[in-house]
Amino acid sequence: MGRILEIQRLNFRYPDSRKKAVVDFDLEVSEGEVVVLAGPSGCGKSTLLRAVNGLIPHMYTGEYSGEVKVAGSSVKDSSMRDLAQTVGFLFQNPENQIFMFTVERDVAFGLENLGVEREEMRRRVDEAIRLLGIEDLAQRAPHELSDGQKQRVALAGVLAMSPKLVILDEPTSLLDPRTAMELVDLVSRLRKELGTTFVVVEHRLELLVKVADRLVVMSGGTKVLDGTPRDVLFGDEAEGYGISVPAITRVQKMLAKDRLAPTERLLTAEELAARLGRGAA
Amino acid sequence: MMWLSGGFVFRRGTSVYHRLDPRVKLLISLLMFSVTLMVQALYQLAMVISVMVAVAAVATVLRRVARTMLLTASFSGFIFAINLLATGNLASSALYAVRFVAIVVSTSLFFITTSPDELEQVMKTFRLPRDVVFAFVTAVRFIPVMMLDTLQIMDAQKSRGLELEKGNLLKRVRNMVPILIPLVVNSVIRSGELAEAMESRAYGAVPKPTSLVKYRARPVDKAVTVLAILLFALTAYSFYFLLPAHFP
Amino acid sequence: MIEFKDVTFVHQNGVRALDSVSLEVGKGETVAVVGENGAGKTTLVKHVTGLLKPKSGKVLVDGVDTRETSTAQLSRKVGVAFQNPDHQLFSESVEKEMAFALRNFGFPPELVEKRVSWGLELFGLEEYRESSPLVLSGGEKKRLTLACILAWDPEVIILDEPTVGQDAIQKEKLAGTIRLLTSTGKTVVVVSHDIEFLWPIQPRVIVMKGGRILGDGMAAELMLRKDVLDSARVAQPQLVTFFEGLSRRPKATFADPLEVRRWAGGNR
Repeated sequence: MGRILEIQRLNFRYPDSRKKAVVDFDLEVSEGEVVVLAGPSGCGKSTLLRAVNGLIPHMYTGEYSGEVKVAGSSVKDSSMRDLAQTVGFLFQNPENQIFMFTVERDVAFGLENLGVEREEMRRRVDEAIRLLGIEDLAQRAPHELSDGQKQRVALAGVLAMSPKLVILDEPTSLLDPRTAMELVDLVSRLRKELGTTFVVVEHRLELLVKVADRLVVMSGGTKVLDGTPRDVLFGDEAEGYGISVPAITRVQKMLAKDRLAPTERLLTAEELAARLGRGAA
Repeated sequence: MMWLSGGFVFRRGTSVYHRLDPRVKLLISLLMFSVTLMVQALYQLAMVISVMVAVAAVATVLRRVARTMLLTASFSGFIFAINLLATGNLASSALYAVRFVAIVVSTSLFFITTSPDELEQVMKTFRLPRDVVFAFVTAVRFIPVMMLDTLQIMDAQKSRGLELEKGNLLKRVRNMVPILIPLVVNSVIRSGELAEAMESRAYGAVPKPTSLVKYRARPVDKAVTVLAILLFALTAYSFYFLLPAHFP
Repeated sequence: MIEFKDVTFVHQNGVRALDSVSLEVGKGETVAVVGENGAGKTTLVKHVTGLLKPKSGKVLVDGVDTRETSTAQLSRKVGVAFQNPDHQLFSESVEKEMAFALRNFGFPPELVEKRVSWGLELFGLEEYRESSPLVLSGGEKKRLTLACILAWDPEVIILDEPTVGQDAIQKEKLAGTIRLLTSTGKTVVVVSHDIEFLWPIQPRVIVMKGGRILGDGMAAELMLRKDVLDSARVAQPQLVTFFEGLSRRPKATFADPLEVRRWAGGNR
């Protein structure tokens, strides 16, 4: 599988700040992966995401060194127009990325900006709306939508531009747990159906561990841990970096001290209960 | 506020009138508006208003228009009183007062039946620059959001012991500071986020963006246009040449 | 401390946000209100501070009917930290931000000074005393809004979605603050989606749906009621799911979820 994202020794400092927001950051993401990016507040996650979709350096200038390549081309040397078609960005607050008065028009917003022909646009808008299962909302106005629906509409607008890589910035922070779980299922389904690569920033790790291929932990602007969610969460360092290690992982770590934990390092409560209930404990 | 939202905020409808081309609706409202200015006698105005009521009935917004008329009437009572004091002429004072109601209704009919989407379309027909149209679109889009923001800010400050309805005028104005500053700060944050999202969705990528929907004038739109212009011409002609300025 | 007697509230658009809600919260209790978005949690909270008055029924706070007093007066007893700190920060310095409410309540200047210093210290914000609250990070802003409220020492403290945008370390600290408040006899109400955050606190839980109270009981019992949680679309804490999975089997190791918690160190 090809590399969709390559970051090499990225450094970035905002003009009004003394400290670098991103320091010597390296990352490679293969096509079709779901990568979760975690780390304490202020660790440089948002800056990193903006360097991937080109807002840095095209909208925010500052001290920039290193290289970010998306689908083989350098972000620095690409235009926002090209980047908008390869990298989709779902921002934290869906409210502030819905511009038009009807859902359908908003999903078309990016395509209109690119000057896509009407028939082609219609086809892609309908496809995005179908993918997210929001057919019944197509004619609604933004203020008639719930937070979860807004999130889906915003994501449809991103997907209509058929990006190869989609960035989700704390997509569940405003959602209730069940709605958040539905969003996570959606990510896993889209990855299967479209082969889209996802980079997700998330604090609520217990929601995402099931669908993530990799968990990358950032601290102080740099990458400190990178591996499968299992390896990272069950490792000794994760808690020290202030990420929310799920309760069920902590239970197994406790049990391991008394040699009671199953060796499989399970990620869900159901699996662990089933495993222990079998009498191994 | 109630008057404004009741009289001018669009609510979705499915009537024949709602489905007309927004440009036709604009034309009808403009023609009705012009006719009210040509009116020379109260009974003529009554004719014009009954046409407006008929349009409102077709658009199934009769109840909303009636309420707007009622609310406007209280204000036009004020106009009537001032005019009467200034001129002493009962008939012309009444004419001014009722004309005000008619003007409000003609404008309101356009706004309550035309969605912001259609408004945008109308602006595009006038070939306004994309940035201007988009600024308008975002402004209208975020009115409800800003209103919600304001309410939430007021709730937060009241919960910190701020008493908005207390004290003299100066104190009351000063009490608005804790409301206004967060409102401005939030708008700044919001516009920053909007700018990021616009960039990320290729805003301004090509000089001539396309549009998902195209409003095409249907035969019924054309027919209504012709009919409206004919009716307007006929009314204008009769007001000036056929009908007496004073009801006999 | 807080009493709802058959309270119904209908929004202007006709939505029944509270539907015959009856509820009693005693002094010193820690209560979590959970339920999906639109379940009526915020409407419930706004009734406690008198921002909304019941259409029918009665809300009593410390024996006072909310309809017979103002929010400004009620807030002396009830402090609310709303979800978005940017909806309330407006002063030129952190210090003045904290003093705002105290001045509104007519505290004498020396006391204002004392309380402000105490609050800044408690939340580790001393270094920002003179800075604008707008330059603080998201987590610091949240802490500041909480400090602002605790400064006037209200009897009831309401936290609306306090964990949104907070990382693991900040959440731990917040849980610690809630325990501290409970131990000093304060009544604490937490509205939150974050069931994993709430579980170790072991609060009394009120489950809401469609303006009604669907379940009311201690977390340890209520979180076992899968039927209630499912119909209110509330997630079950991982440890409870785990416990349930075990207890269905003959060799169940634990008598109750509290034991799981103690045993597995989930009470941190």
